[in-house]
Order: sequence, then C-alpha cells, then structure tokens
Amino acid sequence: MSLYPSYARPRSLQQAVDLLSGLQGGVVVIAGGQEILPSVNYGVLMPDVYVDIGGIEELIGISSVGDELVMGALTVHRDIQGHADVQRLAPLLAQSVSAMGGGWQVHNRGTIGGNIVAMHPLYDIAPSLLALQADIELIDAAGTRRLSFADLLADSSHGLGTKAILTRVFVTASPQSSWGYYKLKNTSGAYGSANAAAVLETEGEILTAIRVVIGAAADQLTLVSDALAGLTGAAYDAAAGAEIERICAQAIGTPLSDHQGDGTWRRAMAGVVARRAVEAALLPATGPDS
Amino acid sequence: MADSPDGDLKYVGRSIRTKEGRAPLIGKAKYTSDYAFAGQLHACIVRSPHAAARINRVDLSAATRVAGVRLAMHGADVAALTDPIPDYLEPALFGGKAAAHRCLAIDEVWCYGQPVAVVVAEDMRTARYAAARVQVDYTPLEAVVDAEAALAVGARTIVPGWDDNLLMHVPFMHGDTVAAFESADQVVSTEVKIHRFSTQPMETRCYNAVWEHNTESITLYGTSQNPHPLRLVLAQTLRMPENKIRIIASTIGGAFGLKMHGHPEEGLICLLAKLTGQPVKWLESREECLLIGAREQKHYIEMAVNNDGTVLGLRDRFYANTGAPSACPGWGMAFLTGLTMPGPYKVRDIDVQMHAVSTNKPSWNAARGYGKESTAIALELAMDNVARQLGVSPVTVRLKNFIGKDEFPYDSPTGLLYDSGDYAGAVEKTLQAIDYDDCLEEQASARESGRYIGIGVAFELTPEGGAIPGSMVVGYDTSSVRVGPDGTVRLLTGVTSPGTGNATGIAQIVADELGVDIDAIEVLQGDTNASPYGFGNYSGRSTIVGGGSAALAAQDVRLMIDKVAAALLEVERSSLVLQRGVYTSTADSSASVTFAEVCYAAYTRAYDVALCIDPPLEATRTFRPPSIRHTPDANGNINPYPSYSNAAYATVCEVDVQTGQVKLLKFAVTHDCGKVINPILVEGQACGAIGFGIGGALTEDVRYDASGRQLTRSFMDYVMPRMSDMPPIAVEHHDMPNPGNYLGLKGAGEAGVGGSAAAVVNAVNNALQPLGVVMNELPLTAPRVWAAIQQASVAPTPGGDQ
Repeated sequence: MSLYPSYARPRSLQQAVDLLSGLQGGVVVIAGGQEILPSVNYGVLMPDVYVDIGGIEELIGISSVGDELVMGALTVHRDIQGHADVQRLAPLLAQSVSAMGGGWQVHNRGTIGGNIVAMHPLYDIAPSLLALQADIELIDAAGTRRLSFADLLADSSHGLGTKAILTRVFVTASPQSSWGYYKLKNTSGAYGSANAAAVLETEGEILTAIRVVIGAAADQLTLVSDALAGLTGAAYDAAAGAEIERICAQAIGTPLSDHQGDGTWRRAMAGVVARRAVEAALLPATGPDS
Repeated sequence: MADSPDGDLKYVGRSIRTKEGRAPLIGKAKYTSDYAFAGQLHACIVRSPHAAARINRVDLSAATRVAGVRLAMHGADVAALTDPIPDYLEPALFGGKAAAHRCLAIDEVWCYGQPVAVVVAEDMRTARYAAARVQVDYTPLEAVVDAEAALAVGARTIVPGWDDNLLMHVPFMHGDTVAAFESADQVVSTEVKIHRFSTQPMETRCYNAVWEHNTESITLYGTSQNPHPLRLVLAQTLRMPENKIRIIASTIGGAFGLKMHGHPEEGLICLLAKLTGQPVKWLESREECLLIGAREQKHYIEMAVNNDGTVLGLRDRFYANTGAPSACPGWGMAFLTGLTMPGPYKVRDIDVQMHAVSTNKPSWNAARGYGKESTAIALELAMDNVARQLGVSPVTVRLKNFIGKDEFPYDSPTGLLYDSGDYAGAVEKTLQAIDYDDCLEEQASARESGRYIGIGVAFELTPEGGAIPGSMVVGYDTSSVRVGPDGTVRLLTGVTSPGTGNATGIAQIVADELGVDIDAIEVLQGDTNASPYGFGNYSGRSTIVGGGSAALAAQDVRLMIDKVAAALLEVERSSLVLQRGVYTSTADSSASVTFAEVCYAAYTRAYDVALCIDPPLEATRTFRPPSIRHTPDANGNINPYPSYSNAAYATVCEVDVQTGQVKLLKFAVTHDCGKVINPILVEGQACGAIGFGIGGALTEDVRYDASGRQLTRSFMDYVMPRMSDMPPIAVEHHDMPNPGNYLGLKGAGEAGVGGSAAAVVNAVNNALQPLGVVMNELPLTAPRVWAAIQQASVAPTPGGDQ
C-alpha cells in the first residue's frame, strides 16, 4: 500500500515476466483497467507497483487453428462478441461475453484475461469457459505452461495478476454440441443473480451428454454433469426439465446471500437458470438471448 | 435555435429545447467539482464505523505526519470554532424535540457514517491515505435500528437527555372517526411498509470553499439547492456576518432534495478554508451519498367502507424511521405524509397519527415527493386492498371516492385548500392511454396459458410550492429583469435549477412578456452576490414563483420600453405593435423602430424621449401566491400550499413466477400541473419521477445489518433501473388551471414517485391474485416476490380462477 506507486509499461512479454520476477509484494498487473481502477478509485486497493501489460501486442487478437480457437488475453470483449471465428467455433462464448454488463466502456476496454484473472463469482465468461472445457496458457519466471481452465480454478497458487501473466485462452469446438446461456439479473445494469452455461450433445431427439456450469449462485462455479447423466438416453421433456432444475439447485453447496438475493432464492434460481440454459440449447431458434 | 415570436405564436406552451442543456451535452457544463483554484487543497472525512458509540479518543497524530497533510481536526477542535448547525426546519416549531447538530461528532456518534474527523491535504489521494491513519477509540453502544423498537419501553435513547426516541408525534384528526367506523359495512386493514430508498443524483455533493484574503470573506462553490438560506446557516455556524459569505451554486447534476442544506460538510469545509487560508474542496463519494436516507415508514391503515366501495373513514397509525437527528429537513417528510392524508379522496372522518422516530440509522434529507409520495403509496395500496376485499374493480373504488371536479376549492380534513382538479378525468385518460380494456382481455388470455399479467392503477395528489411559517421554506420568490441598451435581457431569479430546465421555462415566460427572442435572454441563478434574495428549488415551486415573479418584472420593464417607443415614434402607446423585434404603430403606418433602438434610447436619451421612465430598464418583483394562508382557521389549520398538482398512473406488468421477476410492459400517466409552459420539460419530469417510482418499488433498497451498519455502499448494491428497464411511457396532460397563480400554474417537478411506485405494486398484486399473493411491503424484489409465491397457500396453477 503506497501513496506514491510506481508504474511500468514493459514492451514485451519477456520484459514483463522479468520485471514481475524481480519485484516483491504490492504488485498488480493491469491491462484494460476495468477491474483494477474501480478498486483503486474506491480506495479498496492501493498497489505499490502497476505493471501495465496493455501495450504487449503479442497478447492481443483472435485466431483459429482447425477446430481450435485461440484468443490473446488482452482481447477486449467487444472484439470477441463480433468475431467470425468465435461465432463459428464458440458461439456460447460470444453470447456470454455479450451478456456482460458495464456498458460500452467495459466492453471496449475490458479484456478476457482480466475477466478471468479477477475470478469474480458473478462474472459471465467463466461459466462458458468451464462448460466448453477451455484451456489457458500462462507465463511466469518458471516458463510457459498450458492447463485446463478447470485445473486453474482448482489451483490457488497460480500467481496470476501478481507473479504470472495469463497469455492465451483456447477453446476447441465440438461441432455436434449445442449450447445455451441464461443470465438472471435484477435490472439490466445489475450483476447476475445466477447464470448458467449449458453444452449438450444429442442424437436426433435423444440427449447423449449434458454439461451445465452455474455461476453467480455460489462463491465458486458449480459444474454439473455426472449428476445429470441419468437424463441422457432419452428425449428432453418437461419432467427432464424439472429434474435438471432440482439436481442443479441441489448442486449448489453454500449459496451466495447478498444484495442480489438471499441464499434460498439463489439456490432455487441456480436450478431455474440451468433449466433455461438447457432449453435454450435445445431450441436454438429462440435460445440465444432468452 | 428558438423560433422568434410570430404573431400569436408564443413561447409558452411550446416544447422549447433547454437553453442550459447544450453545455452538459457537449461536456462543457461547469459543475461544482470542475472549479479548481490556485493552491487547491482537498478534504477527506473520517466517518464512524459504528451506528452508536462513545468516542473515547481521536488521535490525529499519524495523519498529520503524512507528507502533504495541511490540517487534521476532530470534533472538539471544530466545536471550539463553530456553533451548532441551525435546523433547516426546526422540529420544535411543530412540538418536536431539539438536538445540537455539530459538523463533527463530539463524545458520541449517533449513526453509521457520521463525520468524526477531517484531514486536509494537497491532493485527494493523500487526504484519503492520511484519513485512514486517524485512530479513533470507540466504545460501541447498543444500536437502536428499528423505529417501533425505538419506541418500546426501555429502549436506549439515542440522544442524551431525551426521554424517549419520539422526535415528534402529530395527530391529524377531523370529524367523528369512531362513528364512521361503527356505521360502515366493513373495515379493511392494510399494513404498508415503505423501505428506505433515496434519490442518488448522478452528481454527488461537492463543496469548494475559498478564503478571500482581500475581503476576509468566504466564497463557497457548492451543490446547494438553496444558496441564500444556506448563507444564513453558514453565518450562524461559522460565527460570521452573512455579508461576508458568498455562495455560488453552479450547474447542478440532479438534487431531488438531497442538496437541501443542513449537511455537516457545508460549514466544515468553509471552516477549513478559513483556517488554511487556501481553497478546500470536498467531493462526496457514492458510498457517502448513499448514507443520506429518506422515506422509510410503516403504516397501519384501517378504512371504514361500505359494500358499494364508499370509504367513510380512515385511520392510520404510522412510524417514520427518520434516523439520527440532523439539521437537514428530511424529518419533515413524515409530517407531510400525515398532513396530506387522505389525498384525493373525499373522506371526512380521519384519525391519522404521525410518529417521527429517531434511530441510529443515518439521517434523512428531503427526497423528491417530500413525504407526499408515501401518502400516495400508503393510500393507493390500501385502496387496492379495499377493492380486493369488496371484489370490485380498483378503478371503481377510486372513482367512487374522488373529490368531484366541481367541488373545488376543497377544504381538506387537515386544513389544506385544494385549488382545482379533475381526478376522475385524469384516471379515465390514463386508462385510455394504456388501452385498459385490451389489457384486461390480454390478462385473461395470458392466465389461460400460465402467464401472470397484472394491471395497476394509482393516483397521487402532490401539493407543491409549500410555505411553512417561521422557516426558510417560504411560498414566494423574486426575480429581476434587466434589459440592456442593445435590447438583450439578463434575467436573475431567486429560484435555482437542479437540472430540470426551469431556467428555460422562466425564459419562455419572459420572452412572451417582453416580446423578445428567447435567445436574447440569459438567465443567472444561484449566485448570492448577484441574484435577488431567493429560496432556491424545492417543492415544485420554481416555475410557479420564479416564473410568476419574472413575469411581473418583465411586465414592468416592458411598460418602460413601450413608453419610450411611443415617445420615439410620437404615437399613443395603445397603438404600438411589437413583432419580430420591431415596433410599429396602428396609428401611423410609416412609424417603425427596432426594439434594440428603443432600449438604446432608454439609456441614452434620459432627458428627452426617456424622460417618461426611470432608467435603467430593470425591475425586481416578487410573486407571492395568494392562496397560501398562514393565519390559522377555526380548527387551527393553515394552508401551506398554493398548488395541488395531481396525476393518475397505470402500468401493466408480467411476473415470472419461477423467478419472481417483474417486467413492466407499459406505463401511462396523466398529469395536471395547471398550465403547461413547456411540454418536454414537464414530460421529462414525469418520466424521471416514474423512474424513481419503478426503482423504489422493485429494486432500490438501502440495507443495514442488525447492528446498524449500512450494507449498501455502491451502485452494485443500490440497483436503480437503467433506460432499458423502463417500459414505454405515455404521458398525457390534463390541465386544470390554478385560479390563484400566474397563468394557472401548479407545480410539475415533484409529483410521481409515489403514484408510480404504487401503480407497480398494485400491478404485481393484480398479476398474482390467482395465486393468492398480496405484497404490501416494498420493494418487490425478485427474491421477495418469489418467496411470497412459494408461501402462498394456492400452488401455481395455470389458468386458476380469480
């Protein structure tokens, strides 16, 4: 905590990593600033050193290699929303990034990397990444490594934001799957009270795989897939919907209870958004912005 | 780009784009925080983290050691140099209790967020950093948070020396309520809980005080709705003569009552400037702004009704949680809630018991509606309950009980004198605007398919332009009109603008009275060294008294100019015609002179053609609405209001019964503000009030934990509707001119928060009627609506009967 913080703007990823490895505590990595600056303005955060990676070109941009979508960590939300490769390979991600609040400023300045590193339980991108079984790549003094997003969530010593830099996000498309995203919020400007990303596989009418990730209902994402296995092998119907709602609500261990809504409601809503995300996946014509 | 007046085409009544709107749109408006001066210092205030505590010691030493800190003070330091802040509105005037209000707390804190110490530094970050190093040793005390619990026997009194926590109790009684209740077919009871929600202007408060070394005086650039009355308060607080203080209230980004004075920071920042000899600025954070409360009331209503829907009598016992005592006028909202019962309804036998209660929650300040919104919420929810109990339409119950349009002027049971209105007509127009019959059909068919659509109707009577004897809440105001030798106009008025565009409305009036182009008029408001002594903006008064007084002044100046024109043209004044800036005469077709030439002559030919006037071309006049009566009548009542604007509201909602979410599909309002000076200004006000009402009814809520700590600290928690949450709004005008005021004006700025909130609640209850859900506790957040549906005895059955 310093009244007179230092500021560094490294020109390459290697410079940034070298800089971070030489610094002690009180460091924040900043890029779009949509996470850090409100905290600083609010007096919650007073870093000693800002390491601004916003100028590192190699971290910006979207490309695809075969069925794999590769997004630089500094890609801003608006570029993800409209990008043809994202629409083609991971439309669920485009949808959830579009559902994000904060208006034009956040969409134009906020980055996918910043959103992930914040690890905020109410944010929109993480449920989709987990549902899509995304990978991420990070770099620190020990070098570059690629790991699954699920493993990242389980690892509390990743050092992202202070010691390590998130570099890329990878999503591999699975052409036979369908998807849905449902976000419940109290006003259009509010954070979500519960949201769900669903990825399904079907053969004709028959469900063959269901993977649902619920966000904003607990302090961590809730992945529900094994518990839903009993619903595969049959067509979706109202009874299946009620069962999804029940199972997903039950999957929430300790629900959040805050201004967005009390715990009892949040748990119930986890079920409702899960069902609605699944229904959106099954009815693509009406699904995407349900 | 205003049109010039052309024949009968006047400015009044037309939608003129605001004169003052351009600067904010292009980012050039100068808000108080935009003022910065050489040597500018910044203040940060240390606030209590406890709702109630004894202050044992305030240690400023660590703060003063921070480089860049210029001054740090605690309560005792400040108290030695200041007097208590005088009340904007003294509770004692109404038989209430008194408390000493200090800029910084001494010995005890009475609420979470109360200022305890202050640090001044060379920049804001340093001030904040140093403020975090002020050490305050508290002994927490038991916090009194709930209003009714605060009145319980044995409750801790929050102000030392008080017998109890009842700030004030006022009975509003008329007729024979006992007999009315005995003779009625039924008694319908309704408990209405109105939560704490506030106004949250986008521009928070800011004070920037400058010590003027040459004149040993203070100039305060401040977000003030009432610069002249604030000057008197500062004079008393700072022990300075009033003429050594100047207040400049520049562009205001919304006020809604929150910038009426009594705030501890006003005097404090002036003192800091005086002590440091340098400009000191304090800008309120959103977290601080959210501390300012309003509205929280619990009503226990009983209505004596006949089976045909006639309401014979009203009993209401209500408790307002006004928070810790403060010098701000917020507590008066509770008084007006009682005074304005029973609103638009012709109920003569009433027994309304108002209890304004002090607690350890942060203080109230005035908030748009000033208690009248709570009258509307309480009455309108109760009226719907009557309709439900009797099994009749909510529209029928209202039409049955309205004061008729031929019954004005109407003496209310609390002594108010309603000027005019057509309440039934306004409701009918609103129902047409919302296609009520179609909505009923849509509702029925939606229920068949398991969807829950509801229609809500509500009415709000909004007395505006108030005047309370013995206070700085006055009914009149003053304007000066000055026409220069080039024919351009400087208009100075004692009313100020919180951003509503009233300067444009007043300019329209002056343009018509003078016969000039509106672009030739510049309006100045809010500078105590320039404007006539005035009382600023509150209570929907600015156009009534600012416009009324400006019209009188403009008429005086116009007469002077006409006289000079007649002398110049050597014609009778009665033969003059002024069109498009040129005087001609019906008596002499060759006579012609421009308005500007006449004005130049008025200044430069004082010894020939202008001998008939006293230059300069200036006049200052006051408009004092005649219907205000401060001499008590036989029952001891006064009429503090010159205008009784009113409006009918209707909305259609759909409730998602799986989530409890309410979506508003349509909204309509029919508003009576007397003569409409500028439709877009009035409609803007109406839509803004509806936004407040919708937010208050559905999502906005300031919450506390059990120990009285405020949990709501940012817009993440205090959720206001965004544009995309607003339904389409149809605004209809239904103008019943006010016989007492210039042009028949009534207030237009304050109305609508309560009526629109009540319409939303009534719509939700109407939607959920098949499920047996009735909610009279605001706000109707999704979790609460969902919980009420879960608890309802009838399970959700699509197409279930009424």
